[in-house]
Amino acid sequence: MYHDILITLMVLTNFTLVATSRIHKSIQVAAFQGVLLGLLPLTLGLGFHIHILLMATAAVVVKGWFIPFLLRRALTKVHIHREVHPYIGYTVLLMLCAFGTGMSIVLAHNLPLKPGGPFALFVPAALATLFTGFLLLVSRRKAITQVVGYLVLENGIYLFGLMLIEDMPILVETGVLLDLFVGIFVMGIVINHISVAFDSMDTRQLAELKD
Amino acid sequence: MAALYLVLLGAALWLGSGLTALGRPSERIALPLSLVGSTFGVAGAVLCLAQGSSGTLDFYFAGFPARLAMDALSAAFLVPLYLVAGLGALYGSSYWPLDAPKGTGRSLRFFYALLVVGMTLVFLARQGLFFLLAWETMAVSAFFLIGTEHEDAKVRRAAWTYLVATHIGTVLLTALMILLARRTGGWLWIPILGATSPKLDTVILVLAILGFGFKAGWIPFHFWLPAAHAGAPSHVSAILSAVMLKAGIYGVLRISGLLPWIPTGVGGTLLLLGAATALYGVLYALAERDFKRLLAYSSIENIGVIGMGIGLGLTGRATHDSWLTSLGFGAALLHMWNHSVFKSLLFFGAGSVLHATETRDMEVLGGLASRMPRTARVLFPGLLAVAALPPFGAFVSEWVLYRGLFAALMRGYPWSAGLALPALAFVGGLAAVAFAKFFGFLFLGSPRSAVAEKAHDPNLPMLIPMGILAVLCLALGLGSAWLLPAVDQVAEILAPGASDLLTTSLGHELRLIGGLAGALLVLGGLVWSWVRRPSKISGALPEPDLPTWGCGYSAPTIRMQYSADSFSDGWATLLPGRRIRMRRLKAIFPTPSTYQSELVDSAGLGFLEPMVERLAARALRLRKLQPGYLTVYLLYVLLALLGVFSWMLLRPWLMVMLGWPA
Repeated sequence: MYHDILITLMVLTNFTLVATSRIHKSIQVAAFQGVLLGLLPLTLGLGFHIHILLMATAAVVVKGWFIPFLLRRALTKVHIHREVHPYIGYTVLLMLCAFGTGMSIVLAHNLPLKPGGPFALFVPAALATLFTGFLLLVSRRKAITQVVGYLVLENGIYLFGLMLIEDMPILVETGVLLDLFVGIFVMGIVINHISVAFDSMDTRQLAELKD
Repeated sequence: MAALYLVLLGAALWLGSGLTALGRPSERIALPLSLVGSTFGVAGAVLCLAQGSSGTLDFYFAGFPARLAMDALSAAFLVPLYLVAGLGALYGSSYWPLDAPKGTGRSLRFFYALLVVGMTLVFLARQGLFFLLAWETMAVSAFFLIGTEHEDAKVRRAAWTYLVATHIGTVLLTALMILLARRTGGWLWIPILGATSPKLDTVILVLAILGFGFKAGWIPFHFWLPAAHAGAPSHVSAILSAVMLKAGIYGVLRISGLLPWIPTGVGGTLLLLGAATALYGVLYALAERDFKRLLAYSSIENIGVIGMGIGLGLTGRATHDSWLTSLGFGAALLHMWNHSVFKSLLFFGAGSVLHATETRDMEVLGGLASRMPRTARVLFPGLLAVAALPPFGAFVSEWVLYRGLFAALMRGYPWSAGLALPALAFVGGLAAVAFAKFFGFLFLGSPRSAVAEKAHDPNLPMLIPMGILAVLCLALGLGSAWLLPAVDQVAEILAPGASDLLTTSLGHELRLIGGLAGALLVLGGLVWSWVRRPSKISGALPEPDLPTWGCGYSAPTIRMQYSADSFSDGWATLLPGRRIRMRRLKAIFPTPSTYQSELVDSAGLGFLEPMVERLAARALRLRKLQPGYLTVYLLYVLLALLGVFSWMLLRPWLMVMLGWPA
């Protein structure tokens, strides 16, 4: 029962993310989504096995604290607070997100999955989160908000992977590692290099690199 | 078995001679290696043809059983390969010395040897995958050979065009090998017996003709050929023209020999395709003023004639007419041999002229007969042979083809044979005109420029191969009757059940032709020596030293000579690809004028190039898909994802709609 609430909250955070223009707030919401995801394995009625506990802690720490921490630090360095002029407007984005969520539900119904179990909402929620992440990536201009979008995309994949937690826990755990890797990679290399090379965090400047 | 091992030993020696070019090369090691290798190769192949012995060698290739095998068909192609390769190596040792600038001498040796080894394996392989490997080895080494003078943009372009053409062929051949494997149930090539499967057999045969056609050069697959053969060093042009084109012929023959059944229409179509190719080739040869391109177009013509023979043979097989089959395949085979001999002779001769004058333009040459008398003398038999004149081999092979065409007319397949007969007659006549132009404007008349004035004969390593080939040209004509048993063996492989048909029925008339020609030659020699006998009248009028073709003018200049363009003008104006830029002369005292002529291969590159350019211009528009913004790339990913999702949603519904099983 709790997991249904958690998942519903996750889908709601998706909408919040899509509609916020303040970067600070979107980092906050992404962190909140990460915490929700981290708590999810505990509510599946699988008991408190060491694997599950370990993974929940790791996910909460990485998604809820470590990556947001890195993002905030980058934010204080570069002094931007708002996403101005996204490629797609907030209202349109909100509608697209709603449409995507609906589509995910339709699709999940048509997928050949085993019915019943605690995973009824997992597939549509995972697909909706994935789609939201993509929308964020496509619509935002600033590198930091794009990283947030990537984080949301990652959350969708993680949610999908959670369905396999009983069968392949190691696989799901490596998913967390992937998050870590992405966090460090994106922050360390991409953002620093953009601001050093172009004196700006605007990814449009990267277009100069094409041949 | 001995024959197979001899040929393999020859190939190994060639490989060795090629590998020496990688290290610190020395002509004294490489040349004997390749000459001995060629001797072994020719010996093995001749042994197989003479004794009818065959051998197989089984091994595993990439985990599949593979086989190298020697039979009369392979041997028939291996003889010209090793003959031309060996003579070419001797010729090349002087024509393109090892220490040629920019290392081209060494790379040329290496890829020349690799080409020989690749072609040996092509002719011996009896397994689809191994055959494709050998085929690619051959094709790619030929690419490097054509691009030897890659500093020249034209040569580079010719090499790339060749590479594209050969790989289109390879794609078709790969499809062919897969279908063939499905038909035989394995990669090994074994004659398919029993039940026919008309659809699959037809597709296999048509694929073979298309795929191997890119190598052989039937129109419209010939577009790469003129530039490639003109741009390569001459002894390479010789082996490409004399042997590598024949690899395409070999492929068609081999694959058709595996099939149990031949559809009726294919033979007639190939007959007409061959006739069209021959006509096209000879018309362009006539109009061409670059003498190596002229030879290349003449190769297209001869490939067309060989194609006519194969078409006739296939018609014979489709109608179970073994007389027609033997005549058709026999003519193709005889012409293949003759063409390899006289075309390599002509390319060697062209190479000698190029070596001496460094130009390929006939309009600036002339009068070489007095400056390069030995070259002119050894080249002359090749000219008579290519024009299919009586004492020489090509006359005999075209004779057999005529016999076949008339036989087809009598049996009631009139439409294709009826069209091919006048085409063949026309081709023979025009070839004679084209080579009258070739010889006349290179060797006769007065020199048209300073380079032609200073030309001189090449040294012996270049003359000896030409001499050997000239003798062979004549021998193939006079001794053609003794070739018939070998031809019969090959025909027996291609269409079982017609053993000794040609020997018993054609032997008599070929011996007659050979004897008559020999007698005429002796008679002609006697008359010649009588006419040229030392004159008894002393103090005869000294021959006035006047320029040739004075035409009655009292003070002619060299520029008033007939030019190659004006010689072929009557025919060449018919060609759509000929462009002339000339200012008309006006007034009584005209100002100086200019004349330029250019020949565009209107069914080849002249037709393809504008299309390719348009395609490239359109493809450039696709660059807009790459704007450089990360978000746009991510959008593409999103769209692809949505596409997959909607496909998954729509698929079950579509299945129901179209009534397909899920």
